[in-house]
Amino acid sequence: MDAKGENKPESQAKPPRLSSAAALGPLNEGYYRDLANAKQEGRPVVWVTSMAPIELVFAFGGIPFFPENYSALCSSRKVAAEFMEAGEALGYSAGLCSYALNTFGFTHLKRGAFGDEGPPAPDVLLATEAACATHPKWWEALQRQFDCPLIIVDAAYVVDSEALSGHQKRYLAAELERAALDMERYTGTKFDIDRLREVVALSDRTSELWDEIDGMRAAVPCPISQIDVFTVQFPLVTLKGTKAAVEFYEPLRDEVKQRVESGFGFLPNERFRLIWDLFPVFHNLRLLNYFGQFDATFVTDLYGNAFSGRLDASDPFGSLAERYLSFFMRSASVGKAQIYVERAKRYHVDGMVFHANRCCRCFSAEQPEIGQILREELDIPSMVFEADMVDPRAYDDAQVKGRIEAFMEMLEARKYPK
Amino acid sequence: MASEFLEAYRNRHELAVGWKQAGKKVFGYFCNYTPEEIIHAAGVIPVRIRGATENIELADAHLPTYCCSYIRSALDQALKGRYSYLDGTVFPKTCDMTRVLPSIWKRNIKVPYQYFLPMPGKSTDEAVEFLIPELRLFRESLEGYLGQPITDEALKQAIGVYNENRTLVDEVYKLALSDAPPISGSQMYGILLAGLIMPKEEHNAMLRRLPGNVPDPVANRDGRMRLMVAGSTFENVELLQLIEDCGGDVVIDDLDFGTRYYGSTVDESLEPMRALAKRYLRRIPCPCKHPTQLRMEHILKLAKDYRVKGVILLNQKYCDTHLYDRPWIESTLRDNGLQVLLVDHSDIGWVGGKFKTMVEAFMEMAE
Ligand code: SF4
Ligand code: SF4
Repeated sequence: MDAKGENKPESQAKPPRLSSAAALGPLNEGYYRDLANAKQEGRPVVWVTSMAPIELVFAFGGIPFFPENYSALCSSRKVAAEFMEAGEALGYSAGLCSYALNTFGFTHLKRGAFGDEGPPAPDVLLATEAACATHPKWWEALQRQFDCPLIIVDAAYVVDSEALSGHQKRYLAAELERAALDMERYTGTKFDIDRLREVVALSDRTSELWDEIDGMRAAVPCPISQIDVFTVQFPLVTLKGTKAAVEFYEPLRDEVKQRVESGFGFLPNERFRLIWDLFPVFHNLRLLNYFGQFDATFVTDLYGNAFSGRLDASDPFGSLAERYLSFFMRSASVGKAQIYVERAKRYHVDGMVFHANRCCRCFSAEQPEIGQILREELDIPSMVFEADMVDPRAYDDAQVKGRIEAFMEMLEARKYPK
Repeated sequence: MASEFLEAYRNRHELAVGWKQAGKKVFGYFCNYTPEEIIHAAGVIPVRIRGATENIELADAHLPTYCCSYIRSALDQALKGRYSYLDGTVFPKTCDMTRVLPSIWKRNIKVPYQYFLPMPGKSTDEAVEFLIPELRLFRESLEGYLGQPITDEALKQAIGVYNENRTLVDEVYKLALSDAPPISGSQMYGILLAGLIMPKEEHNAMLRRLPGNVPDPVANRDGRMRLMVAGSTFENVELLQLIEDCGGDVVIDDLDFGTRYYGSTVDESLEPMRALAKRYLRRIPCPCKHPTQLRMEHILKLAKDYRVKGVILLNQKYCDTHLYDRPWIESTLRDNGLQVLLVDHSDIGWVGGKFKTMVEAFMEMAE
């Protein structure tokens, strides 16, 4: 076998498309149309952090807007570098999260990803600390900028399993309930618990479908590519809690299932199965295809899972609280490593790739340790490459590919010794 | 006399080993959100885990270089065995680094006892009610480890000692209210650092001997500029001396081991656990807590009370929570007629000459 993949043209590594993913285009357009018309239609625009309860936003008839997601879009549309420079010119340190820098930039320049004026200003800002401690910080900065109400949902930390039933859960659930009352005050719309239950049920169904799709990646050969996974994630992130999201994932789940049942692998000849940690490189998603040249595919990542989480419509606040508390970032132990160890076994993994996303310290700082744990516990090797999820400026494609090549050669020698 | 403090800080590891030999237990803790009173009440000496200016050699295998130099260096020092005397480590939840570090610490630094305290991010009544049972859990966990109860009496006594410490330090700060402060910024820095690493009773005793014992460090005050240093934390003592050499007098601070740590006493009229919960949530917040406005007001008030002309905003590189606030703090200070110098700091590989040039240029501009 040719470990270097030299004889394979890049096109051959391009995975076949999922036909049900074609619905993504109209879904996307519909969302941005709704967002653009929100003010006219009197719908509140709520700027949310990841791990914020968008279910609440939908329950109030609002539209959630994710500066993070939008910054990823700016990155893939190659306008992020300019926005980030504008953010830095405002005095924000160049080392900060590139989502934040990009957001400070496009809001200051009043420009958007499509050469337009950008998203409508927030009516309400909603943040949690469930992902990182910096979220409330840039939401505070946005509040000073837009002079609109800010809701911060304080999330406790899990130190042991007691947390999920104990007062940590009660505290967070009460924070969420209070956020609902704040939303009522700020939007002038009466809070309707039955409406929230409906939204929560749809959100739960979306996550269920997502988990099902994600779980099918354990099949050998793997039915879908990592690019597919990152691409079809938009409804999970932005529309979870709507019918549209459920209607998108149902046929997608069926299609993936069908692939698994027929033994279809998206790579013609799958020889290596890898874990991806964690952020996509939005300005260069195609990098993932490069692994295809070595007959390697990613079979699991935690990026998508970060946005999925089962809920219980009979206990909306309690189950939302539980969901955030059980998110792997809420743990003060290397919870992530344990998830990877478990998945490495279940998904038949040969190696692990760490995207050291420089600007996101909370997700990257544990990577060396996770790599060591995987090596110690399962003898699974890993590689690290440094990049930034949004910022293309310091990215060195040749160097990254060189590392990948060396890593794949090593894996080749381990798995298929001559 | 004032130099004794800095000397104690520099000998902190030897001192700790001495207490151990005398039969005491020593706990290391991260961050000024640790309710040290509970540790003290358990008869254990709490010491702040600090980094160093020494090159990082061992920590890079465990933590990426784009984390703050304080956390990297603290881990490096521990990996080098400098903290081998610790019987326990306590982490309160503050910034992202304090969430990430405990697991790395646990795997690599073998300390008999470790505790992670999930401090809330807000200071509401609900947050206080949340923290009280958390503090109780911490207390019970400590009792379990030590095999003896922590009595309310001991707790009250510890609160008294800590409150006295806060008051004594405040008195020293207040010396700098005068036009000719009898104590320099770098001397003050030694006092603040010493308080992090020794039993508070000893620090109190040293502080009581201090007033009247310090000669005016500056002979001629013509053209000197009163300054504040604000930010997270730093290790390099020379930094303050260089500011003084350039003609600046640091008369007050807003630092993690300065007024944010030594300010805000505990209400002794309340039930101790409630009093502690209130103090730790209602004190002058670090930027990782919300709302942030209170800290801004604190900085402005100090600037006014201590009549400073300028503020040196000194931030560790990659210290996210502080850096998000920086543009806002800078512009607010300028709007209030203050001169501002922004410094991106790293304890490791710090170049004094470069810093001095910056400060000189700043002082010239300010005139
Ligand atoms: S620092 Fe990381 S977790 Fe926080 S917003 Fe940025 S990318 Fe997300
Ligand atoms: S507050 Fe800043 S300096 Fe302190 S540990 Fe966190 S990142 Fe490091």
